[in-house]
Amino acid sequence: MRLSPLHDRTRALGARFAEAVGWRIPDAYEGAEEEATRARGGIALADDSAKGRLLLQSDGMAQLLAQLLDPAELPPGAGQRLAGAAGDGGSWVYRLRPDILFFSTPPGAEADLATRLQALTGAGLTAVTDVTDGRAEIRVVGPSSPVLLSKVCGLDFSDEAFSDGEAAQTSVAKTNMLVLRRDLGSLPAYSLIGRRSLGDYVWQVLAEAGTEWEARPIGRAGLDLLSRD
Amino acid sequence: MRVPTMSDVIPQGMSHRLAARDGEVVDREAMLRFSFGGRLYTAFRGDTIAAALTAAGVSTFSRSFKYHRPRGLLCCSGHCPNCLVQIGDEPNVRACQRRVEEGMTVSPQNAWPSLERDALSLSGLLARFMPVGFYYKTFMRPRRLWPLFEAFLRRAAGLGRVDERSPHGAFDKQYLHADVAVVGGGPAGLQAARRAAAAGARVLLCDENQEVGGHLRFGGDPTPLAGARALLEEAGDIQVYTDTAVTGWYRDHWLAAVRGNRLFKIRAGAVVFATGAYERPLVFDNNDLPGVMLAGGVARLLQLYGVVPGKRAVVATANDDGWQVAEALVAAGVELAAVVDERGVESGTAATGLDHVPQYHGHVVAAAVGSGRVRSVEIVPLAGDRVDPGQRQTLPCDLLVTSGGWTAAADLAYMAGGKSRHDEATGETRLDDLPDGIFLAGRVNGRYSADVEAEDGRLAGAAAAAHAGYGEGPSSTAASQVETRAQQQPRRTSDCPPASGKSAKRFVCYCEDVTEVDVTTAIAEGFDSVELLKRYSTISMGPCQGKMCAANALGLCARTQGQTVAETGRTTSRPPVTPLTLGALAGQVMEPVQVTPLHQWHLDRGAAMMVAGLWLRPEHYGDPTAEVLAVRQRVGLIDVSTLGKIKLTGPGVPALLDRLYVNGWRKLGIGRVRYGVMCNDEGVILDDGVCARVREEEWYMSTTSSGAGSVHQWMEWWIQSGWGEGVQLSDVTDQHAAFNLTGPRARDVLQKLTERDLANDKLPYMRTRTATVAGAPSRLLRIGFTGELSFEIHTPASYGLQVWEALMEAGGEFGLVPFGVEAQRVLRLEKAHIIVGQDTDAMSDPLSADMDWAVKLDKADFLGQRELLRIHEKGRRQRLVGFTREGGDVVPEEGLQIVERREERFEAVGWVTSCRFSPVLQKVIGLCWLPDEVAGRQGETIRIHRNGRLVEAQIHHGPFYDPDGSRLKT
Repeated sequence: MRLSPLHDRTRALGARFAEAVGWRIPDAYEGAEEEATRARGGIALADDSAKGRLLLQSDGMAQLLAQLLDPAELPPGAGQRLAGAAGDGGSWVYRLRPDILFFSTPPGAEADLATRLQALTGAGLTAVTDVTDGRAEIRVVGPSSPVLLSKVCGLDFSDEAFSDGEAAQTSVAKTNMLVLRRDLGSLPAYSLIGRRSLGDYVWQVLAEAGTEWEARPIGRAGLDLLSRD
Repeated sequence: MRVPTMSDVIPQGMSHRLAARDGEVVDREAMLRFSFGGRLYTAFRGDTIAAALTAAGVSTFSRSFKYHRPRGLLCCSGHCPNCLVQIGDEPNVRACQRRVEEGMTVSPQNAWPSLERDALSLSGLLARFMPVGFYYKTFMRPRRLWPLFEAFLRRAAGLGRVDERSPHGAFDKQYLHADVAVVGGGPAGLQAARRAAAAGARVLLCDENQEVGGHLRFGGDPTPLAGARALLEEAGDIQVYTDTAVTGWYRDHWLAAVRGNRLFKIRAGAVVFATGAYERPLVFDNNDLPGVMLAGGVARLLQLYGVVPGKRAVVATANDDGWQVAEALVAAGVELAAVVDERGVESGTAATGLDHVPQYHGHVVAAAVGSGRVRSVEIVPLAGDRVDPGQRQTLPCDLLVTSGGWTAAADLAYMAGGKSRHDEATGETRLDDLPDGIFLAGRVNGRYSADVEAEDGRLAGAAAAAHAGYGEGPSSTAASQVETRAQQQPRRTSDCPPASGKSAKRFVCYCEDVTEVDVTTAIAEGFDSVELLKRYSTISMGPCQGKMCAANALGLCARTQGQTVAETGRTTSRPPVTPLTLGALAGQVMEPVQVTPLHQWHLDRGAAMMVAGLWLRPEHYGDPTAEVLAVRQRVGLIDVSTLGKIKLTGPGVPALLDRLYVNGWRKLGIGRVRYGVMCNDEGVILDDGVCARVREEEWYMSTTSSGAGSVHQWMEWWIQSGWGEGVQLSDVTDQHAAFNLTGPRARDVLQKLTERDLANDKLPYMRTRTATVAGAPSRLLRIGFTGELSFEIHTPASYGLQVWEALMEAGGEFGLVPFGVEAQRVLRLEKAHIIVGQDTDAMSDPLSADMDWAVKLDKADFLGQRELLRIHEKGRRQRLVGFTREGGDVVPEEGLQIVERREERFEAVGWVTSCRFSPVLQKVIGLCWLPDEVAGRQGETIRIHRNGRLVEAQIHHGPFYDPDGSRLKT
């Protein structure tokens, strides 16, 4: 069974775990309804580390995007849902640099996507690296989440500057982090993706910074409820 | 007629409280209790500490810094040092800014044993022995008494007391972003914010007061204040931060601001400074007596809190603002003894309701008289620009209100690069040459009437928005019209006519107790430039940071030297404008800590953790010696997930590695592993590790734990500098958990968990294979740091705990134990393996580190080749070698010097880099740097200088344990 870098932390917070595609995933803490209600009123933190993550580096990004997206336009900092995926559980691609793409997939879907990407042709030297295990992913959900993040990160989290579907590589709590904005239902939501070894530290910093909103953890069931709002 | 309510009832103990009035900020229905100096007081909710104490008739709030003179409220706007108090364990709180909370314990500062009877006030009697700069000249001799002096000075100096037992407060920081940031929420700032927002800009407004409105809040007329606030509400989406003091401007319009325990970092496209102006104190004898207050301070107490700081007042003014306060005092029922105006008889004629009040035109205050607080003031007439000391009149009063003019609160604008221009006609300073994106509005820009301030704010707001890309900006005509109206304003600033006679109690700087005599003495001593004068006298270096004293000090400096203020110049403005706590600067504690997937397992097993870079690693599990012996005799398991791991892909990898490493890589076959040393272009060792070729065009590199980040950056730099043709690079350090299973029984343990044949001929030394270990996809590397049969197991981090626990269970029958970094240090030292950074430093090259076997000088260009060739040709100066010492009585510590007798004295010739007692070899072993000619003498005795004694050891070449490596390769 695969364990998230935040497994010990979420267990200590009272998580009830579900097993899915080989992962132990925090399903609920107090109860999905309570967690969702709390998130709607303030802030909730979720361990999303079980999601799949791939990095693709390529010398021929234009040819590669032409095979992946229609239209084949993805400026740096932008994200787009991959064709064929639906709902929040779908796979997304973000362009981090002109030569680097980041893929976010539902848990367990990264291997198939990696195979599909490696089969793309005509893009020059291309390397696909599965970084699922190397990253911790914390999702911050709720109307106050932009303010919470502004306490740990210098990014401008206003809608005008950082809208749903965008990505930025930045510093969060003095660590290098990839920040994705992917709203959940009607709520602003951000995924913070950084080194696995720093995951517990970042979670603690966020929890402390979120004390004024009584930030609490939310499990997968609570997130599912929010996504249907 | 209004029916009296509870709000109109003045509680006992509030002898200076007025009946309820429009515009006040207190809730008279809510009573609070607090203590000050051990006495209980009452307050209304919304009262500041200063307002509540003044309402109770308290006039002394603190003792001065140097002479411990009693000090009372002066500015009531958070600028002067006079009302600094201690609240619980929080020192240096401005009583005029902090609101009362129920049960609050407030203490006076800088007074012992009490505020009323302060023993150190005797220092006032010794003033003649403590002239300006005395601390540069005294307490020097006799030197043996310095500890005594120091103890006394430490007790006497400083403001407030920090309680080291206090729990850490909750401080944090927040980033804010805006197209236009407006600093100051007075009439100009509000208009600027509204106009910028109307142009479409995202606007952020900061004001250090509890509410926006600036001086309109206490001007006595609620109409313009209501209008200004309505404007703000109409504007809608302006972010308003009250109680927020902007403390500094930094490059690219980065502002630091503080609200309570939170520091804001504001990034703006353009900035409007509508920071207003500081009211100038007047300089006369005893101008620091409690009861002497600035007019603005009195107006605040009166209008915001319904409090009068005295029963019989004298107003001394140089402008119409003082007359307005005089009107307000009379309206509030205060007996006004006189209005003293240094201007001529035509001044103050617009004031109403003062016909019955004695008015002294062309007069100034010569002295405040009283002991502990003002009992009367002495006034003198002006004769030209000097006073006539022969015609003193005494006016009994308990409150002296002064209105000596204004100084632009332009500290932030100066920080931003604005240049000052002193206008001799108005006695005020204006700013010129503002940098791009900086705009001024209102009093800081020399606009004093509310309508001109508001228009100036509109212009600044429009200009700032345009700078940020919104709207067209104001026309030059509009700007010149406002300037013309501003030029028509009457002069407001006192000429500060020189007082008669010499007095030691004419204070220029309240914070540091610097008097007029101090300033003139310092100038006479040669400190005649303002910057030197500031440093010598400490004027403007206290809590007010020049807000109260800088203008008067500059005027005095100019007058003393017969210069204009413009010729005298000004001191440099630096942040912070407003005092802030170290806690606010520190913010939330954020010290990144990296942990491995096994972290909790280690803790659960009682591991003593150590910090290694950002990582937490098990140093040992209780007995490192037993751990060493277990590895040598049975088998051990160490968590090496901290090792840096880099994946390289592409046909260009061998060429890149050939350039980065001193070793050769082109011929390394698939499935093979090689140890490598990486140098910089000066031939200095940067890092070491192994690199495996796992496929034709895929390589897997490991680095030291501490070197992971820097090696990745180093490689990225060279790749982007032109050596990256056909190479892709990924840092996968955290992707894999890694363990080293090592010891004679290592193969037995691992074979239980994998179907991969681990026989020596199937997986020989320095080879790598993939394998499924305990159900997890893994990579095995037949390498080791300990000198025993070893397998390094790299597995996806999410499986880390599962694989580790399976190994521990499988190893039970073989006596497997986990071991930590300390045991690993001993084991590697027995093999004489180096640790980069411990056994090497910023001068160490691989040839001198006795690693010439790894350096391929004959290959094509590589980093460090030129320097290494030079060393190879000319010979190395030093060499890293081993040493041994029989017995374990003394283990020389790392860093100790190795000495040699040369001509009757010992000289340091080398140093110890690593040393441990080997439980296997039963002797002390170590590594050290020695001169090459000494290092070559195998077996020769060296002497290590330790705690004043010489410890002998013998030079040793090569590994101490299993020198031919047979155990490793078995």
